[in-house]
Amino acid sequence: MKTRPNIIFINTDQHSWDAISAYGNTYLQTPNIDILHKNGTSFKNTYCTDPVCAAARSSWATGLYTSETGVPFNGGTLHPDIQDIGQILKQGGYRTFHCGKWHVPGRNVRESFETLYYGHNNIGAGGAAYYDSASTHAVMDFLTYYDEKNPFYLQIGYVDRHDVCEYLHNHEEKQIPNPVEQGILSEDDLPPLPDNFNYDDKETVLHRVCRRVDDALIHARILKAVKMWDELHWRYLRWNYYRFIEKVDAEIGSVLSLLQQTDFVDNTLIIFSADHGEACGSHQLFQKFALYEESVRVPFIVSCLGEGIDVERDRFNNTHFVSGVDILPTVCAYANVEPPATCQGDSLRPLVEGKEVTWRDYAYIESNYWGRAIVTDQYKYITEYKPKSFEDYLPPGPHDAQLGRAQLFHRNTEPSETENLADVPEYKDIVNACKIKLFSHENRLNRQQIVQPGAQRLISNWGKRLQGYWEHGY
Amino acid sequence: MSTQYRIPLHWSFNYNHGAQKPDFADELITLLKGYQTNIQDVEAGQIKHTYRILPNFWRGYSSRNRPGDSLSIGSAVIQRHKKSDKLWCYNVQYNNSTSGENALLQFQCNDECYRTLTGNWKATVTNSGQDLYSNIELKGEINNDEQIKLCFNRTEITIGMENHSLPLTCNWGLYDVIPAIAESLRTEGSAVEISLLDDLEQLRPKCQIGYLDSIKDPIPLDGYYLYGTGLLPSYWWVDESKNVVIVSTVFETLVLHEYSGSST
Repeated sequence: MKTRPNIIFINTDQHSWDAISAYGNTYLQTPNIDILHKNGTSFKNTYCTDPVCAAARSSWATGLYTSETGVPFNGGTLHPDIQDIGQILKQGGYRTFHCGKWHVPGRNVRESFETLYYGHNNIGAGGAAYYDSASTHAVMDFLTYYDEKNPFYLQIGYVDRHDVCEYLHNHEEKQIPNPVEQGILSEDDLPPLPDNFNYDDKETVLHRVCRRVDDALIHARILKAVKMWDELHWRYLRWNYYRFIEKVDAEIGSVLSLLQQTDFVDNTLIIFSADHGEACGSHQLFQKFALYEESVRVPFIVSCLGEGIDVERDRFNNTHFVSGVDILPTVCAYANVEPPATCQGDSLRPLVEGKEVTWRDYAYIESNYWGRAIVTDQYKYITEYKPKSFEDYLPPGPHDAQLGRAQLFHRNTEPSETENLADVPEYKDIVNACKIKLFSHENRLNRQQIVQPGAQRLISNWGKRLQGYWEHGY
Repeated sequence: MSTQYRIPLHWSFNYNHGAQKPDFADELITLLKGYQTNIQDVEAGQIKHTYRILPNFWRGYSSRNRPGDSLSIGSAVIQRHKKSDKLWCYNVQYNNSTSGENALLQFQCNDECYRTLTGNWKATVTNSGQDLYSNIELKGEINNDEQIKLCFNRTEITIGMENHSLPLTCNWGLYDVIPAIAESLRTEGSAVEISLLDDLEQLRPKCQIGYLDSIKDPIPLDGYYLYGTGLLPSYWWVDESKNVVIVSTVFETLVLHEYSGSST
């Protein structure tokens, strides 16, 4: 690498880690993401910081965990004192461009970046059908005309496959025949139900109140609809999910094809990831919000289509725990720009180059303000904080007495996460070790109080509901 | 009383959510019952269909400049004429106030039921938003090596090979293809396979079209489905005069607003 590289961060939305054909998934075709893998390293132990858009994206932008950014759920606003990746790289001499979905509330993307395309109406959470092809056009236009000496950082936020949310909303108001009844597909065309279609009945109170009870805090109307589904409906959801991914894969393909025809190809690093995953029927869940693997584990590929950047190619890294907080320091390392001292993430550059470095031995994830997870080589520990008796809008933790229920799963022997070991006496020490890791991690966080009134109201209301369940049960 | 309580809509285009203002069903049914009376004169030999684009889910996708008057966020105008005994020339004008993109697509098809693409094609897309991207030009062709080539601005890429076992058509040609094959799809009950060049730029190598259902209300229509690799299912509803009057995906619904001429 002779000069500082151009860096393109391509991100998709709601894209589970294993929904890539190069990873052996035979139910979809992603030839273009496969090209990224063949020309790079896939980090298969990558976790989002929080399985919802706004929170996870606030971590991408800052290198901080979501309780630190001011966006510890799908609400709140990025704290004004925190610098974002656009501002940091700009100070480091990069031209910084944004295209597509941003969804970091409280930060005007047009102030932090030069925007290639952000919709006629600013892009929000969804709308791939309107925005994604336009984003591709904008990037292609840029790649054919950019001729400045300054290296560029370009982040491309594709909205797909977030629109599966609309697929689900579509079932709220009406009964739709399953695809076999519709006569458009046979059973053989459909992916099977996931192995973990069943779920642990000792989930956290937070999860049950948010996702399971009839008046669930999140998408109760969809929940009511899917309770009427038969097996084929669930399998059809998975079928549709894969078509959404193929669609966005084609958009990525256009960008990669064009990049390969430009002079940038040798000196451009490409990072590919997703903000969070999609449950897609696992644990009889839909969308995100949960701390199960399908919702929190995401693809992460570092790639170069040319020869100018030292990247280990066609390689899976199954050992290092990567997090959404690592995007910013990784980009900074390639850009030769110092990341903020407060940054929680680490640069993947040495790992991409095949070098040995000291690395964290777990991933830390937050969810819905009160939910927490620690993922280690062997175990996943999921827990929750109980709502405070007086809500001060400071994300909770670390506080042992405030912990609620827990789940413990053995990742190697039971990756489907349906057999909860948290209350099994033999695993008491493992649970305690996970708690120590959780508290140790949280002691290093600089948590930010939520200040936006709307977000405060939501946390108050949700907190009251949760309190009710803790006091009176289900 | 709102229309939604009087006329049931088929599940494939029923997006009549209670919170939507204006009301989706009211607007869709008004369009369906009115399009035949809105015939405009065009040049002799021209066939023209104008569609309104209705977002199925209103939140965030509305045209903020025109609150309240219509659900429509844009239009698609498909004009075509027969250039000779063998060729159809298409001009498609697509305007979307949510994305901000306005596209003019021009292509030629062979005069047969699948309207297979032939010759060169071209798309000019402009962005009405405030960002750096203002326009892009695309030119395409199938070259002598049967490669499908596209040129964006001044840079050429190959997006795939022509597959001779399946007819290759543009999605905007389906407005004529589906009415042309509708009867055989309906009576024979089997699906047909095609390749699609979506918006003249994205190749969907294997797609299926088949018969879905028939309805009598709000007007008599026969429905067909389209799906394939990289495509979400879409549902195409054809009236008794062989006009495609509704095209619905999970995200948006195109409804016929005006037409003139006939391809049948």
